[in-house]
Amino acid sequence: MSLVLDGLVKRFGAITALDGISFEVPRGDVFGFLGANGAGKTTTMRIVLDILRPDAGTATWAGTSTIDVPRETWGYLPEERGLYPRLQVLEQLVFFASLYGIPRDVAAARGREWLARFRIPEYEKRRAEELSKGNQQKVQLIAAILHEPAVLLMDEPFVGLDPVNVALLKEAFAEMRGRGTTLVFSTHQMEMVEELCESVALIDRGRLVLAGPIRDVKRSTGRQVVRLALDGRSTDGGGGAADGSGDAGGGGDAGERSAPAWLTSLPGVRISRRGQDYVELAVDRGVDPETVLRAALEHGERVTNFLIADPSIEEIFIERVGRPPSEDHHLAAAEASAATPPAATPTSGAAA
Amino acid sequence: MTGQPGAGYAARTVPNITAVARREFMSRARTRTFRITTVILVIAGVGLALAPILFQWLEGTGGKGDQVEVTVGDSNPSVDVVAALSQILNANTSASPIPLPGQGGQTAPRFVVVANSDAQAARKDVLDGRSIAAIGLGRAPDTQDLKFDLVTKDSALNRNVQLIRQALISITIQDRLTRAGVSPIDQARLFTPPVVTLVPADPNASPGYNPNDDPTAFLVGFGLSIAIFMAIILYGQWIAFSVAEEKNSRVMEVVLAAATPFQLLAGKVVGVGALAILQYVIVAIPMILAIVFQGPISSLILGASSAGSSSIPGIQFTTIAAFGVLFVLGFAIYACLYAGAASLVSRQEEINQIVAPLTFVSVAGYLVATYAGTGLIPINSPIVVILSFVPLFSPYLMLTRLSLGTAGALDFALATVLLLIAIPAVLWLAARLYRSGVLMYGQSPSPRTLWRALRAR
Repeated sequence: MSLVLDGLVKRFGAITALDGISFEVPRGDVFGFLGANGAGKTTTMRIVLDILRPDAGTATWAGTSTIDVPRETWGYLPEERGLYPRLQVLEQLVFFASLYGIPRDVAAARGREWLARFRIPEYEKRRAEELSKGNQQKVQLIAAILHEPAVLLMDEPFVGLDPVNVALLKEAFAEMRGRGTTLVFSTHQMEMVEELCESVALIDRGRLVLAGPIRDVKRSTGRQVVRLALDGRSTDGGGGAADGSGDAGGGGDAGERSAPAWLTSLPGVRISRRGQDYVELAVDRGVDPETVLRAALEHGERVTNFLIADPSIEEIFIERVGRPPSEDHHLAAAEASAATPPAATPTSGAAA
Repeated sequence: MTGQPGAGYAARTVPNITAVARREFMSRARTRTFRITTVILVIAGVGLALAPILFQWLEGTGGKGDQVEVTVGDSNPSVDVVAALSQILNANTSASPIPLPGQGGQTAPRFVVVANSDAQAARKDVLDGRSIAAIGLGRAPDTQDLKFDLVTKDSALNRNVQLIRQALISITIQDRLTRAGVSPIDQARLFTPPVVTLVPADPNASPGYNPNDDPTAFLVGFGLSIAIFMAIILYGQWIAFSVAEEKNSRVMEVVLAAATPFQLLAGKVVGVGALAILQYVIVAIPMILAIVFQGPISSLILGASSAGSSSIPGIQFTTIAAFGVLFVLGFAIYACLYAGAASLVSRQEEINQIVAPLTFVSVAGYLVATYAGTGLIPINSPIVVILSFVPLFSPYLMLTRLSLGTAGALDFALATVLLLIAIPAVLWLAARLYRSGVLMYGQSPSPRTLWRALRAR
């Protein structure tokens, strides 16, 4: 019982939107679908929903082609929010639910319940166009889940939500997960993935870059991350910040501080990020992270924080794709640059 | 793999069509625009039905008519000029080519003829607008014929002036005949019109349409054609706007995840179609009542004396039934096309541009039907007969041919069958356009994009 995509190919005219996408979403997982804008996330979701048909490849749910799976299996929150502008909120919900065969009275009762949970019960009789964007988004989400689908596909669900509503949405995620709903959401906000997902798939320019449980993905990078904070009283001078309180909020850049010379000369170690009061180091798999600690002590540094961790998803993304996930990247651009793919992009979609 | 919907959708075809139709119907019926247009249409319909009465009432003549004053003076005519003039002027001129005394019409008098011995006072009445004309009689000294001074503010080309002139000619002839000793009975015989029979030039011509035979038949066909035409233009636009609104608000993608383009399209056509029929019924009932009770309403407004000429066209039940079938099918085929076309544009402003060709076809069908109905194009010409079977034209032309009696039940059945075949084909075409069109944003609807949309999976 899982959602399996196998070799999906989709072309729009001369543009190849998907080029052999294959991965598996285990049932009941929270699954992060990562990629820059235009990477092919929406196209993939539309194929799963049978809004689009692939040129090659298949998508199956529990062994059945998604084309033949009953519609009520799916809940869909598209990236472009869509509500009938002049229809009342509760009526929209009842209408969408009725397309999935939910009786009107049941749909209305469930709709009220969810509106209350999202703290907008007073908008029941308002027309959608009168609602703020954030509230429209909540209504849209309720419309997607009112028929209690087995799989919920969400395209960028966190975009445009304020922190309070992000927290509400996470709560809703947790509850639906508790009911056994499989949650698939696309995003380019990597901190959401770290926090919520058990598995991920990362696509770029229509090709799969990597996929699998987050732990495996992180281990697959072949390196570790060391976070090091130094007390500034070292004899070498120029080292870490005065306050050694560790990982308190990775703040602004530390351009004015330069790393100690001994650190930059360590073999197999390079500085990947400079925090306000710490540095983050990328350490090759072959190198024992403790050599960093030892070197620091040898150079008379006072170490206030030393942490060995896996690389973040964002780092992996940049490493594999060659740019941060927030950078726009359109299909047309993909087509234009397809002849000369950047070195960082794998040439095969078989990373899973 | 084709673009046919998978089994995942199939189970919910009828419920989804119902759900979409219901939403379409309810959300539109509830708008203020719908209520206002319905009220306006009801008022316009009743107004149209009572137009002849209302015009008379607005003229303020209250059924009395324009006043003409006659000053006989010492001319000593052998006829009662006041009475004769009144009869001739108010005669139903179409009944007889030559107005005759004693053959006046039954309608309310348009002219009131009174005697006034004071020619100067009569002239002043005309000047002040109380009368439209004053007539002063005299005798020509040489021939002893009657002669007339016609005092009026109108020109010689004015219809009233010409009518009065014609009446005066008639009175003069009567005066001459009486003076020559011809009895009134012989006079009536002299003026009786001859029998003229219209014979078609083609000896094999089918005994079909002749506008003079039955003017109401033409009116019925004409009216019902207008009804279909208005429904297609008006409610076709509704459907186009509804599609564009769903596309514009991006609600389409959500709906398409749950329902097929076919279900969506069919639901829209059914929902808007049902509302169209409801609105038509709301408008038609008071209109029909107004026509049926034209007589009583007329006497209520214009006074008891004027029993209005009730002109209920002789509508046959078969014509109404044919109208019902052609109305529903004609609307359905155009509605599908409107929806398919509208799915290709991204903004509501572009709708008029994309539906223009459809509107053009609809107008063409309507105009050909009207021309054929009025005889500008022969109703039995091959073009009209062939087009009356072509699905996009048949709703207009078959209706016209039926109401004029030049098409029979078989013709109607064939046109209906062709429509029934064409509608699923058009629905399939529109659903294809819809499927790729609704996810197409910002592209101009060129023939190439159209072709791509049709071929897309």
